[in-house]
Formats: sequence, structure tokens, C-alpha cells
Amino acid sequence: MVKLNKDFYSIGKETKLFRLIEKLNSTVFKYSEFGVLVAFIVVFLFFLLFANRFATLANFRTVLMVTTELGIMTIGVTFLMVAGEFDLSVGSVFGFSILICTILANTGLNSILAFIITIIITSSIGFINGLITLKASIPSFIVTLGMQMFIRGIMLSVSSGFIISYTGDNLIPMILGREIISFISHSTLILFALLMLFSIILNKTRLGIWILATGADKESARQVGVNIYKTKMICFIIAGIMAGFAGMVNLSRFKIADVLMGQGMELEAIAATVIGGTLLTGGRGSIIGAFLGVLITGMIRSGLILLGAPTFWYRSFIGLILVIVAIINSYMMKIKRKR
Amino acid sequence: MSKGNIILEAKNICKFFGKVIAVNNVSFNLHYGEILGLLGDNGAGKSTLVKMIVGLFNPDSGNIYFKGKKVKFTSPAEARKEGIEIVYQNLSLIDLMNIRQNFFLGKEIDRNILGFNFLDNKKMDEECKKSMEWLGIKVRSSDEDVSLLSGGERQSICIGRSMYFGANLIVLDEPTAALSVKESKKVLEFIRNVKKEGISVVYISHNIYHSYEVCDRFLLMNHGAKLGEFVRNDITADDLISIISKGEINPDLEKYNLCHV
Repeated sequence: MVKLNKDFYSIGKETKLFRLIEKLNSTVFKYSEFGVLVAFIVVFLFFLLFANRFATLANFRTVLMVTTELGIMTIGVTFLMVAGEFDLSVGSVFGFSILICTILANTGLNSILAFIITIIITSSIGFINGLITLKASIPSFIVTLGMQMFIRGIMLSVSSGFIISYTGDNLIPMILGREIISFISHSTLILFALLMLFSIILNKTRLGIWILATGADKESARQVGVNIYKTKMICFIIAGIMAGFAGMVNLSRFKIADVLMGQGMELEAIAATVIGGTLLTGGRGSIIGAFLGVLITGMIRSGLILLGAPTFWYRSFIGLILVIVAIINSYMMKIKRKR
Repeated sequence: MSKGNIILEAKNICKFFGKVIAVNNVSFNLHYGEILGLLGDNGAGKSTLVKMIVGLFNPDSGNIYFKGKKVKFTSPAEARKEGIEIVYQNLSLIDLMNIRQNFFLGKEIDRNILGFNFLDNKKMDEECKKSMEWLGIKVRSSDEDVSLLSGGERQSICIGRSMYFGANLIVLDEPTAALSVKESKKVLEFIRNVKKEGISVVYISHNIYHSYEVCDRFLLMNHGAKLGEFVRNDITADDLISIISKGEINPDLEKYNLCHV
């Protein structure tokens, strides 16, 4: 097959450009993070040139702060998407976890205990999402959309739409929110640790291979003995845990619970994942790529403010980048196939 | 052949789907290192029959004996544990993954580092290459995506995979369908190599000439029932074709028929 393709290239196309592409093919293009890296550099250079004070420590701190929560959530979303499923409920779970933890801690409960209970609840939500999707064979898109609305409704009825301030003890806000150096908080460090951990799981372990296989072709994976139910279930639960944990980070930052928190966040997480080179259909994806996607959203957010542009341009920008990177990624897949 | 040589025996197997009789009272046996050709037109019940052997279905009546032991598999994984592998028509290969990952999928080799299990890619690479080379395929790198391979090479990965994991019985479902002439020849060569290792094969095919090249014995099916059973040397490929297309056995061939229904 190799021979045939070489012939294919040699028919009047033995140009320098083609040789370059072929060389790139075997080195750079094989990484699915390539598209997002290009986008990252372009966005970074753009703001570096046009926004004053973009390359300052203060801005660096802002970007990290806004990306930490979305970043943690995106890890779970990416895992699930690589396995070929969606979770549209993570935004609601994010808000819900803040509400539960606040209510529990406000009763005088130790905030670490409240934190643990909250994470157990959010992981159960992930479990229920998985159970319904897998047992009833309904698309996870529908199941988690239902879950998103359901949870948001519960939040509204529990809080009656009011903002509840956090009056519990200071343990969790200290543990998650404190900064060790002047610009890196504990939660950012935890994010980096999680990124590394999940990247290793996805690329170097049996579970990771099974997740990739399940997302790429679940029928074939099942035939050779991969337990696709277990694999998908693990991913649903991880998505729930990560959304809840992201909520905890947010709580330790603002110390309030608002019903509208996390609305639309699930789409941002999915956008970051797709920008990061994960296939919407599953089977291929990258945690680091997804994080670069999250960083892009963070840079745009703070960069636009520094530019003095109205912040509602933020969404348009993200939308634009999403589509452009998706085009780059699909083009790369095509080149890869032709090789 | 003596009875001790039998690896698989099926006795009076029936399978119904609602009112449809998919497999009707079929009995057959298979010896060690033998290639049994399962022939029949579409809907003859070949696939249903082998699906019961590999544990995808359970027979509604009748028994299956594997290595002299009565077995009742509830899943393909159970059958695989006993040493029965199936290579599906669609090949169960994942295009987005490389050769190594496909080869070891579901049975990865781990390496323990500090109490955690990580994939041992180096070892898997070596084992995969060795196994492929034995089958006569040069693998440049097991990192290559399987989507870049030819049909025959893909087939050989599946067969090599089954053999590597210690299969005693391999079921091949239309292995030469959609392959070029040259590729088909290669695959038939693999199958002969498999036989040399003492592994039994059930070979399902529409292409009588291909199965005639490798099979030792033929089991013919029609409308879910067993039509006849012939040893290769007693019959020609053209006779087989005429039996299958007519759905009945010529009187002059009847004397070679091993089963008398």
C-alpha cells in the first residue's frame, strides 16, 4: 500500500511542497493537537500585538483563573466525547454542586464533608446519565439535555431564584482558592495535576485504549472483548465528578450560589474540546489539546477586555475560532487518510 | 478418524427466531487441525449456526461439546476463554487505531510501574511484528493506522490475533469477500498455515472455489437444515456449486454423502 501511495504522489506532483507535506505528515500532523496549537499561537500573537498589558503577570493570572474551572470541567467532557457520548448537563451540574455545597455548609456542616457529599451527588448524576443512556439506548445528547433542564428546575425551586451567600467554614475555600505564589492558586495546580493524570490515563493505560476504541467503533470493540458499558459508564461518572469539582473551585472563588451559574458552560466545554482536536464522533482526542482550547477561550475573554471591546464579542470570537479550527482539523484528517 | 480426535461436536442443534426455524436439527463434528467448509446459499443458516458455536446465541435445543466437554456459552468472551475465536466479515478492526492497538485490543499487555499498570507498547510491538511475520506479512511499524492497510493485510491481523491468543478453533466468516485475487490467495495461504499449527477452522464462504482450495470436508446447508456432508476428495467444486444452487443432491453423488438424513 505504501508503494501505491508513493506512485500517487509522484505523478507530476513531485514538488517541494508535496515533499514538505509528506514530511510534516509523519511528524507534526500525526498529533491531533496541531490545529489547536496553530489557533493558540495566532490568538496569542493577535492579542500580544493589539492589546496593551496582555503579556503581564496580572493578565496571566486572570487567564488562569477563568480557565481553571472550565478546564477541569472540560477534562470530563473530553473523556466522554472520546468515548463517543455527550454530556450537556455538566453546566447545570456545575451550578447544582455550588448550590448543594453552599446549603450544606451553611447549616454548619464541615465544609470538607459538604464537599465530599457534593462530589458523591454529582458523580451519581453522571452515573444516572450513563445508566439511562446505556440501558434505554437513547442518545446521550437527549438524556443529558433532559438532565440539564431537570437539574436547573430543581435549583430554581430550591433557591426560589435568590442568590445564597456562602456562610460556612473556610476550609474548602482555603484549600482550593488560596494562592501559593502570587498568581497560581491551589486549584490551578490541581488542574495541571488532573490534566497530566488524565492525559496519561487516555494515552498510556488500558482504560484509555478502551475509551478510544469504544468511541471509534463500539461494535468492533465489543466483538474483541472490550466492555463498552463499563468504559462508557466510567466516562459519564468522570464527567459528573469533574463538573462538580469545577463548581467547588468556583464556590471557593466567589462564595455565592446563584441559580444561573454554569448556564451555557457545557457548550463552552464542548467547543474547547472540539477546538482541541477531539472528534465529535469520538475515537480520537486529546486532553492537552482540549486544555489549549480552554486557554484560547480564556485569552479571548481577557484579551477583549484589555482591548476595550464590548465583552459580548467574546461569544462571536469563540464561535469563529471553533469553526476555523474544526476546518483545520478535518483537513488534517483528510491528509492523514491519503498518506 | 477416531473419536478422540474430535475438537467440536454439535448434536441436533435447533434455533428458532419466532416462527422461523433458522437452524433445524443440525449435527456435525470437527477434528483437530481440520478445515471444515460451511457452504450454503444466503439464509441457509450458516451464520446462525456458527454464532451458536462462538457464544453469541444459545441453541434452543441440542448440545455442543468442545474438547469432549459439554459447553453452554453465554457470551463470546466465554467462548474465547475456551479457545474459540471468530473473525467477522467486517473484521472487528478499528480504523482510527494503529496495528498494535488493534492487535491487542481487549487483551493489552501491561507493565507495572510503581504499582500502576501502564501499557507495555514495546513488548506489544515486538509480539505483534513476530506474529505478523510468521503469517508472512512484513510490518514496517506497528504504529501504522490499519486504515492504510490492504484487505488481505487486515484479514491477516485478525487471523494472527486469534492465533496469538491461543485459539484452538477459528471461525472465519467470508474471509475472502471483497478481496482481490492476489489478496485472496494470500489469505488462503494463511489459512493453510493456521492448519499446520493444529488449529481447527470453520470456514464460511460463498466462493466455492476458494473454500475448495483449503477445506478438508464440506458441510452443506439449505433452509436451516443439513443438506449433506462430503469429504473433499469425493467431490468436485462444480458438483458443490450445483448442489447448492439446486438445493438437492444428485443421486449419483449420494453415495459419497457422509450423512444420511
